[in-house]
Amino acid sequence: MRDLMYKEFRMAIHPAFYLIFLTTLLLLIPNWIFTVSLSYLLWVVVPNIFTAMAANNDTFFSVLMPVKKSDVVKAKVLTIVMLQLLNIIIAIPFAVANFMLYKGGMGMLEPNPALFGFVLIMYGLFNFIFIPGFYKTGYKMAFPIMMAIIGALIFALFIQFMPFISTQFNMLFNTRTPESLLWQIGMLIVGIVVYVLLNILTFKISAQRFEKLDL
Amino acid sequence: MSILNVEKINKTYEGFKLRDVSFKLEKGYIMGFIGENGAGKTTTLKAILNMIHIESGQVEVFGLDLKKDERKIKENIGYMFEGINFYPRKRLKLITSVVKRFYSNWDDKVYRHYMNKFKLNEGKKLHELSHGMKVKYNLTLALSHDAKFFILDEPTTGLDPAARDGLMEIFQEIIEDGERSILFSTHIVSDLEKCADYITYINNGRIIDSASMEEFTDARRLIRGSKKQLDSIKNELIAFKENSFGFTGLIEKGNISSVEGLEIATAGLEDIMIYYAKRGENK
Repeated sequence: MRDLMYKEFRMAIHPAFYLIFLTTLLLLIPNWIFTVSLSYLLWVVVPNIFTAMAANNDTFFSVLMPVKKSDVVKAKVLTIVMLQLLNIIIAIPFAVANFMLYKGGMGMLEPNPALFGFVLIMYGLFNFIFIPGFYKTGYKMAFPIMMAIIGALIFALFIQFMPFISTQFNMLFNTRTPESLLWQIGMLIVGIVVYVLLNILTFKISAQRFEKLDL
Repeated sequence: MSILNVEKINKTYEGFKLRDVSFKLEKGYIMGFIGENGAGKTTTLKAILNMIHIESGQVEVFGLDLKKDERKIKENIGYMFEGINFYPRKRLKLITSVVKRFYSNWDDKVYRHYMNKFKLNEGKKLHELSHGMKVKYNLTLALSHDAKFFILDEPTTGLDPAARDGLMEIFQEIIEDGERSILFSTHIVSDLEKCADYITYINNGRIIDSASMEEFTDARRLIRGSKKQLDSIKNELIAFKENSFGFTGLIEKGNISSVEGLEIATAGLEDIMIYYAKRGENK
């Protein structure tokens, strides 16, 4: 497993893609759409990793190594998960800076713990739509990636609109009271749990589909 | 001991079917796997590597069941697929650093030895290597993790005669100690005449024959005769070609008829392949 991960980070991902983490700087913009700031990774890097993988016959290369086929899929899911978690970890200081620099309450989701909970669910949904979709064929990615981007976007828009639609939602997840902070931390925990569950499902379905493929 | 035992494997694709493919390869030998383009060579090799799902049949490598012991088997296999380049824009040094981690019995000394012997430069990118050098790099990787079984898909395609000859010599060296075996597919039969101990011939998804080189060529004869003679022997022939003087055909040794005046000659691998390919046209 570690050998496959090593391969992903040494060969499959071009180091230039790590520059995408600079997009977390967008969290410094006052009162912006932060679900979008954290989506560039999904729109730019993930599709490019999979395209490069196809161009380099990565799947073929991987299954010829002495590894289980399911581990090839597990490594791929874990790679995407690691990039997503890195994106979030790098974004946290900018979220804290934003929180301290500006006053909130303008309607857009604040960069608080709940935002990261929602973003984790968005990432989980993206993985759940894209990765099993990709492993239906092991090479066709246009349709699954577009569906995953649209799915994640619909979820992000829904969450962004919620404070305008529901005062209760706004109070719990978008204000700066000590009581709402508890709710926001609760939302973060829910986000983590949903993210973990979605990724487990993503892996299981993808591995099953991959197992059935003729390469 | 059998390195490879393929038993009655079947696989159906749209417009193509592998039917009851069976053959064996013993330790210490080179087997040429021949057949026309599209005959099922690569599909069979993929089945041996568990990359496709066979509908029935069984593959055993090193006496182990492929389905159950895939990892263990792959630890000891070296491979190369024609036309499929892995990470062609990466330098050999990086590819090696990734590949070596997968094999518990990787030996850096052996790796250095063969990199020097084959004059491979680690600083080069894979796509900068000629086809022959790519084959040598793949062999180096396999030898470095002490592979006992080499599966090579069309390793000589696109090579000039001198490079092909050089490669055949390397194959001979690889199996010299009697511990390793090579199965390589090709449609260039002159390569096999130089180095193969066994021949397995696949035609339209079926194994026509799998035997030692001598047995394989000895089992059939080329015959020539007049048009009149053709009529009386037609049904015995595997296939034939007509010309203005008469006919030339391929026949199983046991079926050589007593029709007088037939000219009988030994059949080379190429003759055998050509006539089997014509078989459908004659019927």
